[in-house]
Amino acid sequence: MLKVNNIDVYYGEVQALWEASLEVDEGEYVALLGANGAGKTTTLNTISGLLRPKKGNIEFLGQDLNHVPAYKTAEMGIAHVPEARRLFPEMTVKENLIMGSLPQKAKNKRKESIDWVFALFPRLEERQRQEAGTLSGGEQQMLAIGRGLMLKPKLLMLDEPSLGLAPFLVDEVFKIIKKVNEEGITILLVEQNVVHALTSCTKAYILENGRITLQGKGRDLLNNEHIKEVYLGI
Amino acid sequence: MSLFWQTLICGLLLGGMYALIAIGMTLIMGVMKIINLAHGALVMVGMYVTYVCFHYWGIDPYAALFISMPALFFLGCLIQKYSINTLIGKESILPENQVLLTVGIMLVLTETMRMIFGSDYKSVHTSYTGSSFFVGDVSVSIPMAIGFVIAMVFTYALHIFLTKSDIGRSIRATAQDKEAAILMGVNANKITIITFGLGSALAAGGGTLLIPIYYLFPDIGHAFVAKSFIITILGGMGSTMGALFGGLTLGIAESFGATYISMGLKDVVGFVIFIIVLLFLPGGFKSLTKR
Ligand SMILES: Nc1ncnc2c1ncn2[C@@H]1O[C@H](COP(=O)(O)OP(=O)(O)OP(=O)(O)O)[C@@H](O)[C@H]1O
Ligand SMILES: [Mg+2]
Repeated sequence: MLKVNNIDVYYGEVQALWEASLEVDEGEYVALLGANGAGKTTTLNTISGLLRPKKGNIEFLGQDLNHVPAYKTAEMGIAHVPEARRLFPEMTVKENLIMGSLPQKAKNKRKESIDWVFALFPRLEERQRQEAGTLSGGEQQMLAIGRGLMLKPKLLMLDEPSLGLAPFLVDEVFKIIKKVNEEGITILLVEQNVVHALTSCTKAYILENGRITLQGKGRDLLNNEHIKEVYLGI
Repeated sequence: MSLFWQTLICGLLLGGMYALIAIGMTLIMGVMKIINLAHGALVMVGMYVTYVCFHYWGIDPYAALFISMPALFFLGCLIQKYSINTLIGKESILPENQVLLTVGIMLVLTETMRMIFGSDYKSVHTSYTGSSFFVGDVSVSIPMAIGFVIAMVFTYALHIFLTKSDIGRSIRATAQDKEAAILMGVNANKITIITFGLGSALAAGGGTLLIPIYYLFPDIGHAFVAKSFIITILGGMGSTMGALFGGLTLGIAESFGATYISMGLKDVVGFVIFIIVLLFLPGGFKSLTKR
């Protein structure tokens, strides 16, 4: 479904990714893991077109994304829940959700999608008229995920959705991602919560200093010596 | 006491029309993050369009709204698309090059109008110019009352558009977080063009409503930039409701200044209020509604 082929990405003169490749098949739940500054956000931003690779290319459903403008990736079925949530702070919860369903196909199902999101996050329904900027951190994260789901995406990309959440909420968020995946939505998850991510994903990539250094099934990587030492501190 | 009410009502009516112009400026400021110093010139061009409609074709100024506003919408879109947007992302020594560009646009518009119409004062003299009606012993100018009502209708219509339509919501979203808006599928480039067009149309609307009570000359735009800027700061940048209250406040302040201090000092009153707000309420009226 998604193929990232040997991309080099730069910020001005500074290179952030070196020949990074990854592949996500339909229905999969793929995790992209790595330390701070490894290049995870850069990878997601390049997939959604906010950044352009200097070398290599990205294919989604057989179409080359290199020349597709960023705003069109949503229409193609890619929902990107960005790092730090990036909600529209002066819009209400409901308006933020509506903003997630702008492309025509999603717009046709807007009502039904809102009900679906409210069923997943009952808290959002209670707060639907509140401005997003006044929500608690946990509520904001739920809204960011909900806004992404409003697209009824083929591929849902999440950038550190568990960041800054209390442990019970982290469990809750991972449960919901699993549930969404079981409903047929393909997931590409960026995380620093390595244990959680590896136990729930089907496949994972490890990004270190802008290079993919390891890949494999989640369970296998959990037992990998390097992972144990560097990411799990065992 | 009747002088007081007279002054208040006159200021309120005038302020409503100022507000319409300033809302156009604040809309552009919200999305583009720049002060559009050509805004007053757009008001002026809108006024000339109305003048031409009236003078050459006998079209009533209020009917001319249907010509001046679309015309300026189109002009605004062109300006954004072919001049301001082409500058985005260009390296420049001066960080505020887009603002400087709006100064250039202002000059071009002003001098073009001077070339066509000359520098002399024009006016649109309708059958109702100068006529008024009485509420108690307060006389209310008819063109000012009509102008105010139409300005409020446009403001309300804009509010509905911004909160209830996908394009309107996309404009607000782009103002709040452009990158996030792009991820939602918003063509931010197109939104900036529509926004500049819309802001220009509102400028033309305000100018057209003011024309029955104003003289028109190419440099009249400067007064409107200054007023819009004051109102925008009063209201808190980027806020439509703030600009509405800012406009009414400025209109009333000017009116009281003219009546109780001196006609010549009415513009000074606006600046005094501006400075007071900057000192004591730097976020403008918008900051009062928060928390
Ligand atoms: N806008 C930018 N300009 C310059 N360099 C940047 C920019 N954004 C990121 N970088 C650099 O690119 C590298 C990768 O950053 P990226 O944000 O992709 O990391 P990350 O894996 O998402 O980290 P984190 O877990 O902290 O979010 C880092 O060295 C970072 O400093
Ligand atoms: Mg990151």
